[in-house]
Amino acid sequence: MRVLLALIVMGLSTLSFAESATQEVYQVLRQDAKGYAAVTPNRVFNFPQDHAPHPEYRIEWWYITANLTDPSGKPWGIQWTLFRQSLSPQPILTGWESNQMWMAHAALSTPNGYFPAQRFARGGIGQAGVSTESFAAWLDDWAWQSTTIEPFPSTLKFMTEDWALNFELHSTKPWVLQGNQGYSQKSAGNQASYYYSQPHIEITGTATRKGQSTSLKGTAWLDREWSSQPLAPNQAGWDWFSLHFNDGYALMVYQLRHTDGKHWLSGSWIDPKGVSQTLKAEDIILKPHALSTIEVLKAKQRTPIRLPLEWTIELPKLNKRWQITTPYPNQWMAAQFPYWEGVVEVDGGKSGRGYMELTGY
Amino acid sequence: MSTLGLSLKALLSHYWRYPWQALFLLVGLCAGVGLWSAVQVINSHARASYDNANQVLGAQAHFWIRAQDGTGVKTEDYAQLRRLGFREVYPVVQGVVTTTTNQRLPLIATDPIVLPVEALETNTSAVEFNGLAFMQAPYQAWFPPDLAKELNLQPNDQVLLNSGYSLPPAVLQTQAQQGRQVLLDIAPALQVLKRNTLSYLAVTQLSATRQHQLEQVLPQYLKLVPNRQSLDLTQLTQSLHTQLTAMSLLSFAVGLFIAFNAVRFSLWYRRPTLRTLRLVGVSVRTLTFAIGVETLIWSLIGSGLGILLGYGLSQVLLPTVSSSLQSLYGANMGADIVLQPSTLIMAWLLTLGGLILALAMPLWQQLRLPVLPSSSLSTHWLIDQRTRKYLLIASMVLSTLAMILYPFISTVVQGFVLLGIVLLAGAWALPTLLALSLKALEYLLPNTSFKSRWLIRDGWAQLPALRTAMMALLLALTANLGVEALVGSFRTSLSDWLEQRLSSDLYVQGSSQFDLHKLLANPTTTDWLTATNERTQVTLRLQDRPLILRGIDHTAPDTNDLGITQSVPNAVEHWRSLDTTKNWVLANEQLHFLGGKAVGEVLELPTPQGLKTFTIAAFVHDYGNPYYQLYIPNPVLKTYWAHPEPWNISLWLKSPNDLPKAEQALIEAGAKAGDWTAQHTIKEVSLKIFDRTFAMTAAMNSLTLWVAGIALLAALMAILQERLPEFAQWRALGVSTTEQWLVMSTPLLIWAMVTWLVSIPLGALLSWILIHKLNVMAFGWSMPLLWSMQPAGVLALMTVGVIGLTLVLVAWQLKRQLPQALARLGGQA
Repeated sequence: MRVLLALIVMGLSTLSFAESATQEVYQVLRQDAKGYAAVTPNRVFNFPQDHAPHPEYRIEWWYITANLTDPSGKPWGIQWTLFRQSLSPQPILTGWESNQMWMAHAALSTPNGYFPAQRFARGGIGQAGVSTESFAAWLDDWAWQSTTIEPFPSTLKFMTEDWALNFELHSTKPWVLQGNQGYSQKSAGNQASYYYSQPHIEITGTATRKGQSTSLKGTAWLDREWSSQPLAPNQAGWDWFSLHFNDGYALMVYQLRHTDGKHWLSGSWIDPKGVSQTLKAEDIILKPHALSTIEVLKAKQRTPIRLPLEWTIELPKLNKRWQITTPYPNQWMAAQFPYWEGVVEVDGGKSGRGYMELTGY
Repeated sequence: MSTLGLSLKALLSHYWRYPWQALFLLVGLCAGVGLWSAVQVINSHARASYDNANQVLGAQAHFWIRAQDGTGVKTEDYAQLRRLGFREVYPVVQGVVTTTTNQRLPLIATDPIVLPVEALETNTSAVEFNGLAFMQAPYQAWFPPDLAKELNLQPNDQVLLNSGYSLPPAVLQTQAQQGRQVLLDIAPALQVLKRNTLSYLAVTQLSATRQHQLEQVLPQYLKLVPNRQSLDLTQLTQSLHTQLTAMSLLSFAVGLFIAFNAVRFSLWYRRPTLRTLRLVGVSVRTLTFAIGVETLIWSLIGSGLGILLGYGLSQVLLPTVSSSLQSLYGANMGADIVLQPSTLIMAWLLTLGGLILALAMPLWQQLRLPVLPSSSLSTHWLIDQRTRKYLLIASMVLSTLAMILYPFISTVVQGFVLLGIVLLAGAWALPTLLALSLKALEYLLPNTSFKSRWLIRDGWAQLPALRTAMMALLLALTANLGVEALVGSFRTSLSDWLEQRLSSDLYVQGSSQFDLHKLLANPTTTDWLTATNERTQVTLRLQDRPLILRGIDHTAPDTNDLGITQSVPNAVEHWRSLDTTKNWVLANEQLHFLGGKAVGEVLELPTPQGLKTFTIAAFVHDYGNPYYQLYIPNPVLKTYWAHPEPWNISLWLKSPNDLPKAEQALIEAGAKAGDWTAQHTIKEVSLKIFDRTFAMTAAMNSLTLWVAGIALLAALMAILQERLPEFAQWRALGVSTTEQWLVMSTPLLIWAMVTWLVSIPLGALLSWILIHKLNVMAFGWSMPLLWSMQPAGVLALMTVGVIGLTLVLVAWQLKRQLPQALARLGGQA
């Protein structure tokens, strides 16, 4: 469900910097997709080619989150995202005049703080891109690289503030096509995206700061999504969850919050082998609890903001029910378009861990 | 109220009664402080801009990455550096395009998305530019508002270029350090400049380790060089700013003359007041204090209003100065001016100092006179005679001093001190000359005529009052003539020099893909091409100033007449001998005058093969170049630098009618439309740059003249006030209007003529010093002094105009006030 976020963040740069512009930014998402390729059902996915960019679509991303554990058992987390946007319908792929724009967000969550960063680059000159000759996705020296045509095994290297992060990623599980065979509908209208994931990635690596390294280990999740017009006029924000359970199962659920209170819900339940089952709106109950107040930087001012950091997720048909909380309330991505994204625990960590994304608050 | 308060009130009440005097005092102070502070504001603004010159568009640039051979940086090498994590590096494209109206527009382009400007809460880079519109077709061209105004551009207008392209739609907006350049995204910039490489990469601050790492990964053809622009600009522009300051000080002096005039009359009028105050028992100390307070009040009001005026004036003058700085030194100045507290304080101190001289000192002197009246008009004349004598003596002392100092002058500041001394000497000798002219008139006019004797006597009475105004007029006229001669001489020398240097018909720019060998291989060239000159360059540093080694074809036609100013015997033959033991070079005059080098002297320069010596065969004119430059035959240059940066190529055609053939052949040899420029365009552009450079000088010059005009007006108005009762008496005695005007205006016209006459030799002397001393020391350019009487004629007309205007005003005042004065006269009787 990160499509909206990406569009908003990249769309923002088309507007002035005024903080008050945040609401206008949503308009960008509602722009007509005319001229761009349309997202239609029954697309046949083709790997590894589909790991490469689809520039005929307006927006696309490669989104990695990982829940990690340090040697003392404390939870850590990373987010590494590469966004692509076609600024106009006819793709221009090479040269300074390319209309491909790239943006990357990265964050490290640690027991001692949260370290976000963002970067921008234009396409066409080699500064950022995704190549599939041997798989690589990069922006400057933030790079996710494999030695083969397949995205795994691979390395992920990036920096945020004074942290240097180096990871190795492995996965042999099948790709999970989200929604209806990869066609992920976002509203009752024709808002939709192509969406596939790899929820079962083993990740090991180190986080190094001032010469001191911490070894980290855990499970990562990759989302791949592309679309041209994802947001309906009455959608104000979203809440998104990717959870890894201790028994090897994984869950993705999200809700698009409608202004009339009738939210759009969707998700998938994935077994340890990577076989998934699509969850429909009626299969999911998503309930926020008391709002928490955190202080975030807005226009360089510390501003309190109220967020639903505690949730109950229920899948009545599967007879499942979990409490979602976060050990680190301050995981606020203070980028141009700010949002909360970070490590969460399922039933206080007893059942599993995951990532949660909250936008539009 | 205390005695002090009462005394002050009594002193100041004078200005209520004679508001003209208060007005002229203010006009003098404001004019002086205004012009001075305008220049200060501009200078400090320029200096602040130089401090920022180690930035590019608001981002730090402590280093450049440039191609060794000056060709440009490949995009893939830039992207590779970014992928290696060198995010300190960002791309810049700079170049010049020519519009269809032959206006040269400097362009600067960068990738806004990586420009390291702090804008985000997080510590990473961000887009401070408001929009991707900037980086997407049809793109945007950001014009600084004053440039847009000059080009008569409206938002969204597209400037047409003579290459057939047009710039993206105009946006009237600026980014830091944009100066008078047009800001674009890299994509459209490369397109309109028809390039495929970046001009350079700018690099933000690097630690020693990081610098080492970067140097390790740079491709062979690139080099990392420290950005010294800030230092260079401060040094190179020093002279220009000193000149501006000197001009502003001159204006300040003229302003003070006006104030001085006003004060003289207020003094005259307040003598009874002072006497009365002392007679009623006010102590000298209290009166001194009261005068001090009055001085302080005037200084505050004068400097305050002056600063306001100066600030407004600086806004008007800034575009001119910044375009001079841009075209001469490539310095970029922002558009927003900040008034520094130091300027405010300096303005006030200068005003206070001037007022102490002009107001407090004479008042204080007045205080020391005996309480009871002793001075009559005749004693006043006697005093004036004595003053004239003192002034003449002082003037002679100053002249002698100037002659003694002349050989020792070696800096621009000293040069201006000399100028000041000469001007002051001239001004102080003037009252004696005016007196002499009156004496001469006395001899010429029949002694028997009552009217002529009256006229002469009245002239003597007017002299003390008018001499200050005449001195101010002399200063203004002299300065004007001097500067006119300087500018005129320079313009003629420059255009002659351009004529000589730009003898070829076509110039093809160095960045073009044009291949000279391919052109020469074309068999049709023999039909139309007579000669070529391929110029190259290598940039080094000498005495902390950039030194350009200009490689040229030693057989090209334009090497026959290089504008040599001094040389060793057979200099050109030596130079053409391609002797690599001596390495003969032709150096620009700048190296002689600013660098202190002489013909025959040997320069030791770092080459890729180690230190090598080069011998100066001759010095040549090189107007408008702020750098040192050596002309070296290409074969010699290439002996040491295998791949010098291409500069330009000139082509000589058999006949101007061959132009279409030549253009066709150029295109066949890889050049694109717009890569070449015709000779006349370059000349036009050069002269345009010249005119812009001196526009500020001209503006200051005419402002000074205006100030002097006001001084004259102020003096005459004050005399009128002073003499109104006299005129009433004349009227009562039956003097006709014509007679009265004859008496009033004859001495005035004679003195104005004398002043004008004196200003001619003095102006010539001034221009001589400006050209042979100051200009040489400031810019290193020598030229002959070309004197023309035309400016003097214009000035004569202007002076007559000012006097005419003044007389009209006086007549009007007289008409208005005379009845009252007559009535008063009647009352007294």
